[in-house]
Amino acid sequence: MAAEASSPAAPAAGSSGGRRDGLWLLVSWIVLSIIGCLLVALVWGPHLPPGAASNTARSQQVDFTVLGTIATPVVIGVLLYFGWAIAFWRQKPGDETDAEPIHGNARVSAIWITATSAIVLALAVYGTIELIAPAGAGAGQGPQPVFNHNIPAAASDTSWSPGTNNVLQVQVIGQQWAWTYRYPQFGGFETTNLVLPVGVPVRFNVTSLDVIHSFWAYQLGVKADANPDVNNVAYTTPEHTGGFTVRCAELCGIWHGAMYDYGKIVSVSDFMSWTHSTAIQLAAVTKLLPPYALTYDPTVVASMGKVNTQLGLTGAGGGFYNPADPEQP
Amino acid sequence: MSLPARVTTLVIAFLAVVAGGIYVALHYIGAQPPVENYTSYASNGQVNVTLMTTAQTTVTNKPDWVTYFIQNPSTKQFVHTTYFEVPANTKVNVTILGYDGCTPLRNPVWGKVAGVTGNVENVQFFNGKTMSASQPISTFDSWADCSVQHTFAIPGLGVNVPIASVTTFNENSNLCGTSPCTGDPSDANSPHTVVKFSFTTPKTGGVFRWQCFVPCGLGYVDGNGGPMGTPGYMMGQMEVQA
Repeated sequence: MAAEASSPAAPAAGSSGGRRDGLWLLVSWIVLSIIGCLLVALVWGPHLPPGAASNTARSQQVDFTVLGTIATPVVIGVLLYFGWAIAFWRQKPGDETDAEPIHGNARVSAIWITATSAIVLALAVYGTIELIAPAGAGAGQGPQPVFNHNIPAAASDTSWSPGTNNVLQVQVIGQQWAWTYRYPQFGGFETTNLVLPVGVPVRFNVTSLDVIHSFWAYQLGVKADANPDVNNVAYTTPEHTGGFTVRCAELCGIWHGAMYDYGKIVSVSDFMSWTHSTAIQLAAVTKLLPPYALTYDPTVVASMGKVNTQLGLTGAGGGFYNPADPEQP
Repeated sequence: MSLPARVTTLVIAFLAVVAGGIYVALHYIGAQPPVENYTSYASNGQVNVTLMTTAQTTVTNKPDWVTYFIQNPSTKQFVHTTYFEVPANTKVNVTILGYDGCTPLRNPVWGKVAGVTGNVENVQFFNGKTMSASQPISTFDSWADCSVQHTFAIPGLGVNVPIASVTTFNENSNLCGTSPCTGDPSDANSPHTVVKFSFTTPKTGGVFRWQCFVPCGLGYVDGNGGPMGTPGYMMGQMEVQA
């Protein structure tokens, strides 16, 4: 905006030869901005990451599209003014005179402040709504989530069946350097495979066994830090069947870059079949797992055996190592 | 100082700094343990790989770190490394000589054998005098029993094998004191386990990291530093040659 308003003064020193730079710039900017906005919103937008595999991902894609569309006229304005200045207002050979001094312009300043304030405040309102509507926008909300719009209550922590108004719970456990997933509503089995049913609201309870990790289900638009002794809740609702990638987004050690796996969104019937077969397959190890809890305390061991006790071990958390060891950092 | 001399000095100084940077990058950052290449030792679609765990690493300047060794397929000597190569689309028959004592799994889910033939490992226990008969085991309860020392896991292939440990307090207190354990005649009778399992490598090549899921970094926070985070000790790479 300021570019158009101030541009008529600039060419006076640049001998524009009577060209009406301000008008040309304004018209060019409007035409290019309309074209650019249409391209961003209609052509590029539907292909922006993270895609539309879930309601949170789709919401983020819309947000990126809106922000990209709003930014397009600004980018075009800056580049257009930049190019115009280089093309027409550059210093001619032999011309060593100074340009005309620029004085303040209250009208331009008022327009600029008003317009930018309106844009920022509008985006703040839009951003807040977008955070509330898709239940936290896929971000970790801590142990007591505030944004749970359209998420059904956890009617049961120990059972789940299709068609019931009960959020599916999946515990995500980070450890150096792998993710495991626990399904408390299906007997509490724990597996290295993350499988979700399509069209069902999911509550991720994200925690860690050791250091800080970050659960980033990229195509789902879900990202939540995995902190030891903390339950970090994130919501999403898968909307399309297919695969997605899970990565760790927090530098967590030497194999951080290799801490990824692949999840699947399947039909509800396939999901039920998978949970049934997996629960049977993992039954032997499931009964060895600690009782389901929203955080994992490896120092609480109910069945510490005689030999381990004789060896001086009190838990599985590594706390049994001698703190006076010279290697202790 | 003349201009040519200044330029020459500047160039030499610049090259010295660059050379120093390259040396640091290659020698320290890019350094990796030696690679035991089993590729040419495969026959009939199978290859045999032997590893060892020890409670210490007396062959390095980190004697109190637990570690893996890999047997050289030619000399049969155990080499302090965790890097090995195997051919693609080949059944890998792994033998692990477990000379370390027991440590509970932080996450009991790693007590289940997975991703290997039959989802079982065959274990023999040597108590210092006699070797037990081989028995197939599919799941370990490392908390109730003194049964696991480390794991051999290749997450990219879904392989997870808990390495069985000696089972009594007396055996745990009489582990071999040097490494590799079979390198010292006095260790010949040390209590240990012999763990055998098989898995098949992918049809295409690739590099797969493997690691231990027992937090066995003695003296480090939660047991996750030191040997757990250092190539050549409790983590390494398996390169599959297509």
